[in-house]
This record gives sequence, structure tokens and C-alpha cells, in this order.
Amino acid sequence: MAPPEIEGARLSKFGVELEVHIASLRRYARSLLRNSADAEDLVQEALTRAVSRADSFKAGTNLRAWLFTILHNVHVNQVRSRASRPDEVPVEAVESRLVTPARQEERIELRDMSRALDDLPVEQRQVLLLVALEGMKYEEVAETLGVPIGTVMSRLSRAREAVRTKLSNEGGVTLRRVK
Amino acid sequence: MEAHRVRDEDLHAYVDGHLHGERRVAVERCLAEDAELARRVEDYRAQAALLHELFDPVLREQPSQEVVDLTHRLNGRLAGNDNAPPWHARAWVRMAAAIVLVVGGATGGWFGRGSVAPPPAQVVQQQRPALQTFAAEAAQAHRFYTSDERFQVEMGADDPYALDSFLSQRVGRDVFGPDLSKVGYRLIGGRSLPIDQGAGAQYMYANEQGKRITLFAGSAQPAQEGSFSFAQQGDVATFYWVEGTLAYALIGRLSREELMDITKAVYSDLKAGSKQREQREQRRQEQQPPAAQQPTQEQQQQQPQPQPQQNPVQPVSDKHNSKPS
Repeated sequence: MAPPEIEGARLSKFGVELEVHIASLRRYARSLLRNSADAEDLVQEALTRAVSRADSFKAGTNLRAWLFTILHNVHVNQVRSRASRPDEVPVEAVESRLVTPARQEERIELRDMSRALDDLPVEQRQVLLLVALEGMKYEEVAETLGVPIGTVMSRLSRAREAVRTKLSNEGGVTLRRVK
Repeated sequence: MEAHRVRDEDLHAYVDGHLHGERRVAVERCLAEDAELARRVEDYRAQAALLHELFDPVLREQPSQEVVDLTHRLNGRLAGNDNAPPWHARAWVRMAAAIVLVVGGATGGWFGRGSVAPPPAQVVQQQRPALQTFAAEAAQAHRFYTSDERFQVEMGADDPYALDSFLSQRVGRDVFGPDLSKVGYRLIGGRSLPIDQGAGAQYMYANEQGKRITLFAGSAQPAQEGSFSFAQQGDVATFYWVEGTLAYALIGRLSREELMDITKAVYSDLKAGSKQREQREQRRQEQQPPAAQQPTQEQQQQQPQPQPQQNPVQPVSDKHNSKPS
């Protein structure tokens, strides 16, 4: 499939692949947590764990799914440990719309999308983001989140409908062009 | 309503580009007959576009030093698994630079920092910084999205018209992916991505050997129109030029001569294609009753306002022109 390349280019290819996945990981963390400092912390912790468990990665298997699975597990643990300490508020509760730079959300439909995302239960938000933003296949999402594919599909369906309802109700601006 | 004919999971798979063959055709047929279903598809796709618009800028941000260090270490560990040669720090820096899309002007961007990163491009002409930035962004996008087969494209090319319509909407200009079969390349899909000046459209092509090239299009200032420029960064070669209100960049890991041949094919098809496209539009309008949901001149002239994609409906209309609706 790939064109023949000079020996040594293999490393660069792997390095670039890793780079691309980590960029996606950072995007996903940001879209999940909405706070850039928390998101970067999450990615950092996930990568720390990935380094310590690098032996468990089998060459040639799905590197992206491996990385996203680790990040998901770290996130689950973070939420759990924060919930067990009453002096701290779960990450989801402090997500602030204010932390997203205003410039990005000056368009009303972006702002509405952002809010609709905030209002989704975290399980639905994860699925919607992995499918619609990260472009994962449904099986990959199921693997990453450790849930059956049927659950992925039902969460996706509910998430999309919930967002759709919000976007068509808010602000009087619908995504639909008046025909 | 015909909604019951489409299973929910098929509808989502259709939206996400995971549905093929007969089931895809079946969904398209239902979409043509069921306006409410078609609107759902439009809305779901609009959601994805908004998510990209909200969060794709993260891809261009420089990661924290900790994340950079950890990425480096992880690569070392995984590359070890892979029996690859040891990691090289300078190669790392180059790659890190390669995936950070250039922000700001040609001199103010990421590549302006430090001495390890090469300049964005050895450009032939120096007096067009905005266009150079565009070409550099296009080249970085090429490196970024051709490096992994799993998510090279945001939308596949099995329906080229839907792809053009999607990307035109994102860019706010009428763009389309030229036919490069004459030079042995087939369109595999495309994506939109934020660039310094608005949104850009990336069309990706592959040849029989799996070699990939990308054509990048974005808004340009009319004053910049001029001749072709060439840039080379590492093994990535770029031709870029302005045509009307659009800037184009063609990028590939090819020699200058090979890329020049393809550039000529792109250029001539863009010229010829826009005429054919107009004719196609004309025919479409003539053949369809006015009541049908059709793109009209009006749609062509739309500004990049939030707007539903009409894609799900059109391909079917295309194929079933003879069928009264």
C-alpha cells in the first residue's frame, strides 16, 4: 500500500502517527473537560501511564484506541477520586463556559453547540465527541469506553437528538435554512 | 413518512460515513423521500462541523512542555517495541514543528522561533506573505493528515457532490475536487480545517500505489493573483497559486517535475470543471420541479452562514432525475 520509502523513514512515520494521535487526544480532552488546564493535566496523566505501560502495546495494533482507552480510564479514576473527596467538586461540575476564549464562540451557533455539549450527560458527551469529532468507528468507541456497541449506538442517538433539540430551540437561530 | 424504513443505526452510520453498498443506497433513497429524515442528517452533520470548529484549534496549540517530554518518552518506548532505531531529538523537533499548523504571518508563526525548525518553505517569491502562510499551512495539513490512514478524511468521496457541497459551505466559496484520473490519482475524500484566514478545504487523492497528494483551497485576496510558486520543505513539495477568489496549494512527496505535471492537470480541470459544474447545475435545475429541495444560484452565493447541508438529498436527486418526486 505505502510507497517504498528509505530505511529509517519508518521511525518518522511512527513518530508522526504518535504525534497526530496525541494532538487528537488533547483535542478530545479539551472538548470533554472544557478547561484547558484540566485537559492538559488529563493528557499528561494518561501519557505518564502510557509510558509506564508501553510494553502492553502491541506493534501494528490500533495505537489511537490504545491511547484513548488509557485516557478514558484515567478520566474515570479522576472523577471517582474527586467524587470521594467532598471538599472537591467533580470536574464536570466546574466546567465553565468562561474558560473557552470568547473569540471562538462569538458565533451564536458555536455558543449554542458549546452549551448543548455542556448539558449532555458525560457518557453521551464522550460518545458524541469520539464519533463526531474524533471520527472513530463505533467498534473503536465501544472498545475505548469498555461498553457494548449497542450502548454506543443508543448513547449516540440520544446525544444527537438532545443537541439537535437544544440547537433548534436556543437563540432563535436554527441551523436550518428557511426554505 | 418513510422514517420507519431506515433503522436508526443505519442513519447514524450514514451520517458518519460508515455505511456502504446497498444499505447506503437504501438510506439515500429514503432521504430523498422524507424531508424530515433529511433534516436530521443535515443537523447531525452540522453538529459535527460545529464541534470541529470549536475544538480543532487545539490541534494548532503548542502542547505543554510536560506533554512534549512525555510524547518523546512514549515514542522512545513504543519505537523500542517496534524495533525501530533509537529516537533522534532533532527529528522529534522537526516533527513537532511539522504538525503544528502555522499560525500568524510567515515570520511571526511557530517556525519563526528557535533555530532548530526549518523555515516554512523555501519560497520562490518573497513578496506575498499571506499566500506563503497559506502554502505553509497547506503543507502542514498535508503532513498531518496523510500520516495516518485511519482518519485522513473527514468525509469520503463516494459522493463527490456531497463532499464539494460540504467543503464549499465551510470555506464560504464554491470549491470542488478536480478529476485527476488522467494523471492516475483518485479522489478519496476531504476535510475542512481552520487556517489563518478563515477555513480551508483539503481534498485528498491517492494513486494505485497508495501515494497521496492533497489539494488545499482557501479564500484569497483577489490582488494576489499571479503565477505559480513552488516551495519545498524536506521531502514535501508544494505548488501554490491564486485563481479568482481562491488560493490553491497542491502538495505531495514528489519531485518538482512530477508535481508540476499534476499541477497542470489540476489547473486545467479546475478551469474546465467549473464550466461543467455550471452546466450540471443548469441541467439539475431544469429537470427538477421548483418545489424540490435544490441548490440554486442562491445557495452558490451564500456566505458562510450556518446552513444545512443539502448533500444527503442531492446525490439521490442526481441519480433519480427521471423519477418524479
